[in-house]
Amino acid sequence: MWWGGRGQSFNIAPQKEEPEMGSVQENRMPEPRSRQPSSCLASRCLPGEQILAWAPGVRKGLEPELSGTLICTNFRVTFQPCGWQWNQDTPLNSEYDFALVNIGRLEAVSGLSRVQLLRPGSLHKFIPEEILIHGRDFRLLRVGFEAGGLEPQAFQVTMAIVQARAQSNQAQQYSGITLSKAGQGSGSRKPPIPLMETAEDWETERKKQAARGWRVSTVNERFDVATSLPRYFWVPNRILDSEVRRAYGHFHQGRGPRLSWHHPGGSDLLRCGGFYTASDPNKEDIRAVELMLQAGHSDVVLVDTMDELPSLADVQLAHLRLRALCLPDSSVAEDKWLSALEGTRWLDYVRACLRKASDISVLVTSRVRSVILQERGDRDLNGLLSSLVQLLSAPEARTLFGFQSLVQREWVAAGHPFLTRLGGTGASEEAPVFLLFLDCVWQLLQQFPADFEFSEFFLLALHDSVRVPDTLTFLRNTPWERGKQSGQLNSYTQVYTPGYSQPPAGNSFNLQLSVWDWDLRYSNAQILQFQNPGYDPEHCPDSWLPRPQPSFMVPGPPSSVWLFSRGALTPLNQLCPWRDSPSLLAVSSRWLPRPAISSESLADQEWGLPSHWGACPLPPGLLLPGYLGPQIRLWRRCYLRGRPEVQMGLSALTVSGLQDELSHLQELLRKWTPRISPEDHSKKRDPHTILNPTEIAGILKGRAEGDLG
Amino acid sequence: MLGKGVVGGGGGTKAPKPSFVSYVRPEEIHTNEKEVTEKEVTLHLLPGEQLLCEASTVLKYVQEDSCQHGVYGRLVCTDFKIAFLGDDESALDNDETQFKNKVIGENDITLHCVDQIYGVFDEKKKTLFGQLKKYPEKLIIHCKDLRVFQFCLRYTKEEEVKRIVSGIIHHTQAPKLLKRLFLFSYATAAQNNTVTDPKNHTVMFDTLKDWCWELERTKGNMKYKAVSVNEGYKVCESSVKLKDAVFAHCYVLSITQWLASKRSSINRRKKEKPHLYLEGDLRQFGLPAYFVVPTPLPEENVQRFQGHGIPIWCWSCHNGSALLKMSALPKEQDDGILQIQKSFLDGIYKTIHRPPYEVVKTEDLSSNFLSLQEIQTAYSKFKQLFLIDNSTEFWDTDIKWFSLLESSSWLDIIRRCLKKAIEITECMEAQNMNVLLLEENASDLCCLISSLVQLMMDPHCRTRIGFQSLIQKEWVMGGHCFLDRCNHLRQNDKEEVPVFLLFLDCVWQLVHQHPPAFEFTETYLTVLSDSLYIPIFSTFFFNSPHQKDTNMGREGQDTQSKPLNLLTVWDWSVQFEPKAQTLLKNPLYVEKPKLDKGQRKGMRFKHQRQLSLPLTQSKSSPKRGFFREETDHLIKNLLGKRISKLINSSDELQDNFREFYDSWHSKSTDYHGLLLPHIEGPEIKVWAQRYLRWIPEAQILGGGQVATMSKLLEMMEEVQSLQEKIDERHHSQQAPQAEGPCLLRNSARLSSLFPFALLQRHSSKPVLPTSGWKALGDEDDLAKREDEFVDLGDV
Repeated sequence: MWWGGRGQSFNIAPQKEEPEMGSVQENRMPEPRSRQPSSCLASRCLPGEQILAWAPGVRKGLEPELSGTLICTNFRVTFQPCGWQWNQDTPLNSEYDFALVNIGRLEAVSGLSRVQLLRPGSLHKFIPEEILIHGRDFRLLRVGFEAGGLEPQAFQVTMAIVQARAQSNQAQQYSGITLSKAGQGSGSRKPPIPLMETAEDWETERKKQAARGWRVSTVNERFDVATSLPRYFWVPNRILDSEVRRAYGHFHQGRGPRLSWHHPGGSDLLRCGGFYTASDPNKEDIRAVELMLQAGHSDVVLVDTMDELPSLADVQLAHLRLRALCLPDSSVAEDKWLSALEGTRWLDYVRACLRKASDISVLVTSRVRSVILQERGDRDLNGLLSSLVQLLSAPEARTLFGFQSLVQREWVAAGHPFLTRLGGTGASEEAPVFLLFLDCVWQLLQQFPADFEFSEFFLLALHDSVRVPDTLTFLRNTPWERGKQSGQLNSYTQVYTPGYSQPPAGNSFNLQLSVWDWDLRYSNAQILQFQNPGYDPEHCPDSWLPRPQPSFMVPGPPSSVWLFSRGALTPLNQLCPWRDSPSLLAVSSRWLPRPAISSESLADQEWGLPSHWGACPLPPGLLLPGYLGPQIRLWRRCYLRGRPEVQMGLSALTVSGLQDELSHLQELLRKWTPRISPEDHSKKRDPHTILNPTEIAGILKGRAEGDLG
Repeated sequence: MLGKGVVGGGGGTKAPKPSFVSYVRPEEIHTNEKEVTEKEVTLHLLPGEQLLCEASTVLKYVQEDSCQHGVYGRLVCTDFKIAFLGDDESALDNDETQFKNKVIGENDITLHCVDQIYGVFDEKKKTLFGQLKKYPEKLIIHCKDLRVFQFCLRYTKEEEVKRIVSGIIHHTQAPKLLKRLFLFSYATAAQNNTVTDPKNHTVMFDTLKDWCWELERTKGNMKYKAVSVNEGYKVCESSVKLKDAVFAHCYVLSITQWLASKRSSINRRKKEKPHLYLEGDLRQFGLPAYFVVPTPLPEENVQRFQGHGIPIWCWSCHNGSALLKMSALPKEQDDGILQIQKSFLDGIYKTIHRPPYEVVKTEDLSSNFLSLQEIQTAYSKFKQLFLIDNSTEFWDTDIKWFSLLESSSWLDIIRRCLKKAIEITECMEAQNMNVLLLEENASDLCCLISSLVQLMMDPHCRTRIGFQSLIQKEWVMGGHCFLDRCNHLRQNDKEEVPVFLLFLDCVWQLVHQHPPAFEFTETYLTVLSDSLYIPIFSTFFFNSPHQKDTNMGREGQDTQSKPLNLLTVWDWSVQFEPKAQTLLKNPLYVEKPKLDKGQRKGMRFKHQRQLSLPLTQSKSSPKRGFFREETDHLIKNLLGKRISKLINSSDELQDNFREFYDSWHSKSTDYHGLLLPHIEGPEIKVWAQRYLRWIPEAQILGGGQVATMSKLLEMMEEVQSLQEKIDERHHSQQAPQAEGPCLLRNSARLSSLFPFALLQRHSSKPVLPTSGWKALGDEDDLAKREDEFVDLGDV
């Protein structure tokens, strides 16, 4: 995105004022030991956080080098530049904070040798002159120690980091800390992102989507249907809670079919887990399951989500390879870069996701039918696909608010096991599916720069937030655990949270901070950059009036059932695997019979398709992404952040600069209009507000220069 | 919607094998034929253009992203172009076609734009050339601007097929005489037409004044002088006649072959009577009428080796260091001549090694850098990735996209060129050295590298006028053999090397990485690359300025009449309406502010000091001696005993380069100062606009950069109107609102392929790109269309 934001990713301190020479000099002086920074630093700590060690150092790799302090606590490693305005803006610093879990690799440099630090023992006989912290989120922090590392503090802090990291790796569960809004001046003007933890949230959202045939079910209020499911979800109107409970028992981990999104044109997008094949449902159960899947439509398309998409292990492997490739000292020769990139297969997976999402969104958008995403676990790729489909087909989801609620609903509330997938538990099931999703969204952003209200920087912030220890959003595997921790469930012992000792009346858990409270970690200037200056809502106009077609809620059997797999539709005889031929049931989630013949030969066959499935014009709100090799690109601003040479020079004259100019000019005009009537403008001219055009042109240029500079 | 057969398939994983027979019955063809002739679009002929052959009832395949349509029409071959006259052009009369080329329609292929012609015989694709025994049922034309046309000849009369196919093959592939280029017939015919004065100020460098102006501008006039020793290519009158006679002979022989033989014959005679031929003529070897050499260089030196071995000035840097180029002396075996050459070069080197000249570093581009062969191979592999007959082919290559791309090594060649240019920039900017580019004829890679260096160092070259002047100076006047390199005369395929295209691709990388630094857009570059094949502009249709001047009749006795007035490509109004020309201009470009000149100067000095301080020692006297050694070495080199290793240890070179590169990139960019590209692996990209523009699958509806662009233009417009308002208030007068409707603002959703590939405009239906779904949709579609046919038949 060549017009991008104006910054150089978030690596430049938002406070532009450089520390004056005097103050730098002053700080270069080794501070007396008695002046421990704890006095000033402790106030910056999170509750429960302890400073383990600290040392003065210089942030390297980028111009200008910043001097400051490297601090290791029991939660994170952070670098605090001198002259940082502490009591301003954000309690946490987003630039140089590395949560311990986020540290992917730790290296110490002494002279020409470079040693990877694994255990505390590896530090013996080694004086670290410089320490390199490679984040798992592709960030890199280089801190050089003053006096060439001979300072004992340098040694101490390095030791502390190594130890703390080793300990955090051992810890079975990463506890994190919770902050509450009580301590914060919650002066946010914007409506908060619904956390989808109350029935009201779900009801509001349902109304917003105008899903008339659906209701909020409270059957899982006590998490006794499934702990991984949210407490509330949407089920068809006609289905009783008892039927829901009965039907859900026949799905993997109790994750039965629920509404994901209701298309204004009348289609419904559902998601569910794999059929629980070991169960032996009776006729009524099967009927309930079928009713839920059918959701009142006569056409039903089952989508095998895992088909054509990478497995979790694939995603993890690709991500590891990508990280290795993007290391600043990656040994890949420049002329072999492209094939190395291809070799990671990451972009292939991104492309596969986009392709499938695009297919599904066409299925959902253009016809009245029920499209069911089915994945065995229903917690990974289903979330990815259903979010992508909504981004492609619903303009509302492309706003800042809409996107955050989408992630909250389809990922957080839907029980994506963030902690496991991001490697927080040390379990083998690590797979950054969510990061894959963010990459897909970035590709969309690239391809449709005018259709999204949020910018690349927002995605980057979200990308960096998945491992921060201060909010629970991404630190739990299930809504149940999250609720337990945040004290929603009175039946569980409440965790002590400082600043939350006196729960005020009302919805206490609403005070819980989530990752969407951006002002926790990002300054206002940075949050402003979350807005995409090129967003042109004209592209998704209000005139996008979907023709609400009557959804025929006929409780009869579906007239057509299809399986969408391998990019082709195959007719199915039945929805559930149990009824006629129990022998068909495979143990795997991929029970769906694969087309034995290749898809193109299938295509040649005659299909007796319903006539209303014919081609119809592209609805204006729908985006069809490109997923050809040349169109899928590498998210450089994210993955190549560790490389200084790539990092610099990403700035360009921006649209935001122009927008500033516009508002400035408009402001000028506004000031003018009341003050001067055309007759006496020469007298009352205020030299500060009224500029002649040449002066304005001067400002324009000056600003442009400023942007460039 | 007449006569459109719809063919299913495409997309999926296997060839769709379209068969038109099943949907279009012969009866329909006949009825259609009548209507076609009635509604037929008249062939638009340029002045001097002649119709050569034609065929009717040709079916042209129209690719839409899912399926293929056919459009009936007439296929025509003139001495300028191959044109298809179908009935679907009427549908294109709307806003989006405002970016229309006035010379070349979307269904026109100039003869020089044809790359390969294939015929399909019984489902087999074969290259067509020479005399054919059998005529194909389908004709596939690959164009040099990467369009692919497919014409079905199954319904055409047999004799028409014969005529058109052999006509097309003959007129595009047979070797041509220079004088038979359409250029001349056009110029003769359009003679009386008042040529609109190109209101641009592109410096053409065809007068002494132009060169003096350039010297003045770069402040190179202290040490360099413009010479007119070659004025009028005057040396001897008689050999002009000889030349014309020889030109007639070179129908089969390529010009270069001829030159080589001429050269060797001269050499042979030189051996016999060396004193006679030492002062040869400069005319065949690409030197322009005027050029610039170091001031102390005696003018008679220039003539001794026909301009070879003379350091010719390209450009001067603000710190006084200059970029020079030199063509190598011919290789000789004879010791006597070697002696003469050596002493000659010694003399030259003495003059340019003495102060006030800076230390000279020599870059031998013909031995240690790219070979033309490499460029040719890489490009022919690379372009195959984009020349796609049907979408199936595309999907096949798509899976291995990155490794295919890498194996073509085109991007790597771009990287190497950019890197070399940065190295030279480093020498000039940081080490304050003169750089002498050396190449056999100083007309291929010399042009490329020296233009790139100037583009990086001289902000003037990043304006449109500056860029055009740069091409005029380095390429056109620099004697780049456009005629041979583009193979316009089809005389020698081996000489066809896309050096200029490589240059444009390098420039694109710079434009793409630093868009605000350039006054022109990538669309400008794309359009420029297309103009390479339009033979009404003289710019790219000569091997040297001398060749142009001789053939334009500015000299010689046979042209008592007015000299021909040839068009230059820089007159963009010939090709585009003013409205369309707005797309060539970068709205984000901010002109260099002139107010703070003093401040800027200060900054520049600071910048320079920072860069050169750590390197000052390396410029001290020992280095001078060091480089003097290199002179000897160079002479050896020039004399043909090439020793491949550089004296400079490559490590040191790498370090300097790295330091310079890193330090520049770690600072913020001054778009009016030095500009360096990123050359890391991920930073060199495919010029998507040029290469993907005709591929319907690559289309993103409502997306791409156009979306940003329209928003941007909108905002610019708003800023402008606000400023106008302020202006108004300021002067309390009502200025008339002059708001020209913008090209981009008219339609809400443009495709990412805008402004090219208008053919795909109507494909707005969502299609699952997968075969199964597609087949379903198409079938449906088909049923409807068949109904249409029936209706037509009834009428």
